[in-house]
Amino acid sequence: MTLIGTSVPRREDERLLAGKGSFLADQAQGAYHVVFVRSDIAHGDLRQIDVSAAQEAPGVVGVFTAGQLGLRDNYIALLHEPDPEFVAATAFTMVDQRLAVMADRRVHYVGQIVAAVVASDRYLAEDAAELVNVGYAALPVVVEMEDALDAEAPVLHEHLSSNEAASLSFSFGDPDSARAQAAVTVAETYRIGRHGAVPLECRGVLTRLGHRTGEVDVWTSTQVPHMVRRGICAATGWTTDEVRVHVPDVGGGFGTKANVYPEEILVPLLARLTGRDLVWVEDRQEHLTAAAQGRDQVHHCVLSVDAEGRILALEDDFLVNIGAGSLWVAGIVANTAIHLLGPYRVPAARVGGRGIFTNKAVVAQYRGAGRPEASFVLERSLDAAARRLGLTNVEIRRRNLLTAQDLPYPRPLPYRDGVPIVYDGGDYRACLDAALDLLPVGVVAQEQAAHPELLIGHGVGCYLEATGRGPYESAQLTVTPQGRIEVMTGAASAGQGHETSFAQVAAESLALPMEAVRVLPTDTGSLAHGIGTFASRSAVLAGNAVAQTAAQLVDAGRRRYARATGADPAEVGYREGVFQAPDRDPAGWRELARLGGPGEALEGEPPLRAASMYRCRTVTWTMGVHATVVGVHPGTGIARVLRYAVAHEGGVEINPLVVEGQVLGGVAQGLGGTLYEEFRYGADGGPRSTTFAEYGLPGASEVPEVQIRHLGVPTDNPLGVRGAGESGTIAVAAAVAAAIDAATGCTHVTATPIAPRMVKSALDAA
Amino acid sequence: MTDHVIRLAVNDEQIEATVPARLTLADFLRDRLGLTGTHLGCEHGVCGACTVLVDERSVRACITLAVQVDGCSITTVEGLTGPLADRLRAAFSRRHGLQCGFCTPGFLVTATEMIENDSRPKPLTADHVRETLSGNTCRCTGYQGIVQAVLDAEAPDHITG
Repeated sequence: MTLIGTSVPRREDERLLAGKGSFLADQAQGAYHVVFVRSDIAHGDLRQIDVSAAQEAPGVVGVFTAGQLGLRDNYIALLHEPDPEFVAATAFTMVDQRLAVMADRRVHYVGQIVAAVVASDRYLAEDAAELVNVGYAALPVVVEMEDALDAEAPVLHEHLSSNEAASLSFSFGDPDSARAQAAVTVAETYRIGRHGAVPLECRGVLTRLGHRTGEVDVWTSTQVPHMVRRGICAATGWTTDEVRVHVPDVGGGFGTKANVYPEEILVPLLARLTGRDLVWVEDRQEHLTAAAQGRDQVHHCVLSVDAEGRILALEDDFLVNIGAGSLWVAGIVANTAIHLLGPYRVPAARVGGRGIFTNKAVVAQYRGAGRPEASFVLERSLDAAARRLGLTNVEIRRRNLLTAQDLPYPRPLPYRDGVPIVYDGGDYRACLDAALDLLPVGVVAQEQAAHPELLIGHGVGCYLEATGRGPYESAQLTVTPQGRIEVMTGAASAGQGHETSFAQVAAESLALPMEAVRVLPTDTGSLAHGIGTFASRSAVLAGNAVAQTAAQLVDAGRRRYARATGADPAEVGYREGVFQAPDRDPAGWRELARLGGPGEALEGEPPLRAASMYRCRTVTWTMGVHATVVGVHPGTGIARVLRYAVAHEGGVEINPLVVEGQVLGGVAQGLGGTLYEEFRYGADGGPRSTTFAEYGLPGASEVPEVQIRHLGVPTDNPLGVRGAGESGTIAVAAAVAAAIDAATGCTHVTATPIAPRMVKSALDAA
Repeated sequence: MTDHVIRLAVNDEQIEATVPARLTLADFLRDRLGLTGTHLGCEHGVCGACTVLVDERSVRACITLAVQVDGCSITTVEGLTGPLADRLRAAFSRRHGLQCGFCTPGFLVTATEMIENDSRPKPLTADHVRETLSGNTCRCTGYQGIVQAVLDAEAPDHITG
């Protein structure tokens, strides 16, 4: 059977195409609505909250503040701490962050929750929310990181002594003497703007009270149900037996839903308090104001190369603007630092990075989470060095990319999990060749002929991404009375096709047809432990967990068959869903299930089930090269992406159609952040990008056809899979910036989103 | 708040309802009729997820009031039936024109209008499809599969493999 590696049509599609998806808001029938009152200033002390008029408004059940909810000094716990080995090797530090579940003394960003209105429908709840009168004493606002680090800057969090949230630094080799010996040293400041996931479905939380069981059932549009459960229990003191977190159909996540939010704690809390089923459905303005954002980094990078263009040393000092806070600050800062080393031979490096508090909205791990920023900085620096040496962008990469002779390639550093880094790739230079085969530099002439009004340029960008972060993921396989296999994992799906891909893994592992397997949506009451879907980890962690658990289920089936038939378990064979020992009748899963029934040989035995956690030793690395041809309009400076290609060195593909979809969608998001998307803020900390008119998502006319070539290099896990969820996004900014520079011949793009006015003024001056 | 009586056809079913003046068409369809296939992605008329047909023309249900469609005939994603709808759905699946599926109902409705509307030049080209779909946002797929699916569905004879 060869289900793995086959583009099996997705099982999700039929219901989604029929309009029968079951997204969060689709399940809200009968629930009362929660609407949150949010801070409209970026920094200030709360003076008073007058809810009297709102309380009296039609349909209102209640209006609640932090004090009434017992939420004074109640903060959401951080989601990630690096391994002590990594902390020691990188001098990593991280402060105690206090992201309030509901603000009760001070607000730190526009959109922070200060009160909640519960009413019989959303229209009435919004009417009442407008009647809540909040008095603030405004405090000085800090928007930009450089200002936050000024000695005179206000310290934004009272319990801290500065605005620094996290830091790390490491070095290896001898960067100082490398710089002294370098033929060319390029130094530049690079900025990556603040943009983010912006899934088409906003966030939302539904809570239904189990009046008979005392349980609270929570549905939330999340990638990480077990982390949400932990967040709810930590904030409320409820036990994990009391709260069950379910995952509905999720309309995209991309990292912003791999977070624990105040709303996910407040809606269940309010439901219990009011004794009613409650729903909160985020609107787009709320999402663009208060949901976690991403990127927003500044780097000062110095790259030293020899006369042949070979890298001698990379030095980088960077800042990450985490706004009011980030539960993932450790991941973002560490990812950025590690990925600055790229897929190249880098003999010496010195890297320092810091996470900085400001009064912007909170930050989570948006697709790539430090990798796109690192790729942009390193790739731009290589392009700058190539220009100084008179080399092409392609040639300088060819001279530095790791090849089959170099790989596996160890780095003198541990990854965040404490395990020494070893790039486990095949031949990264072959990936460059493949990308150029898809989109040769010579295409520029063709495109120039087709678009005489545009300046045309070709660019490449390389990336390397650590994928499949551990420590574990869990899977559970259960045999139904009809002999069907039901699969659940902790990796909740947000559009990645888990119902199909994990069914392929289970069916292949069990030598059964696809029809015999069904993947259930994750719920924390059925699956005790889990981590979630992010960091290109689901195929690697959850996929292998399904395969491993399937093997255990076969063992359990073998033992049951042996008990029922009296056979020696060692003699029980399993072939295409059928157990058989010599001289015994064969039995399939359905027969084994029936054996536990009344009057049967194993009366009273529970359903066959296996559960396990797959642990990986460390990450596995996916490498790829993006190539693009961009046209720049000389009159406006507007860039149009005409051609795009990605060659990537992934692993075994469970479902090639799904993997390709991840890369295609990733490129589109990369283009958004490179050319169109930005969360802008005024000097007062007020968000300026709170509608889709101001926050520009790429549309069908902005995203070109993308050609993809997959160079499969299996890796050291049972399925041989590597992650690919971020591969499409990471190198987009680097490739597009290089193409724009090639087109204009007079720019060196150093910031995203790439502003047409910057390009135009450079052209005008040239 | 003034209530109004409206009479309309939704997916060929005659309906009479009393609605407040401010109730949006999207909320009417979703909350009153249980037609939750019409999704709300932005609620300010940009993303196109809530697109429905009103008298065979595409309309954004999030910025249309229920009282405005008194006397009209509405088709939602649940009401897309027949050979074209079947072809569109099959092509979206085959071409991987959906991932999370949240934007998909709006794309199906827009694509139906594009193909059925005789004023559009036929056969469709990829550029024409992209331009016509520019009022619908997809955050997952990069549009490639969607464009291919619409072209496939319009000209089923041209599908090879």
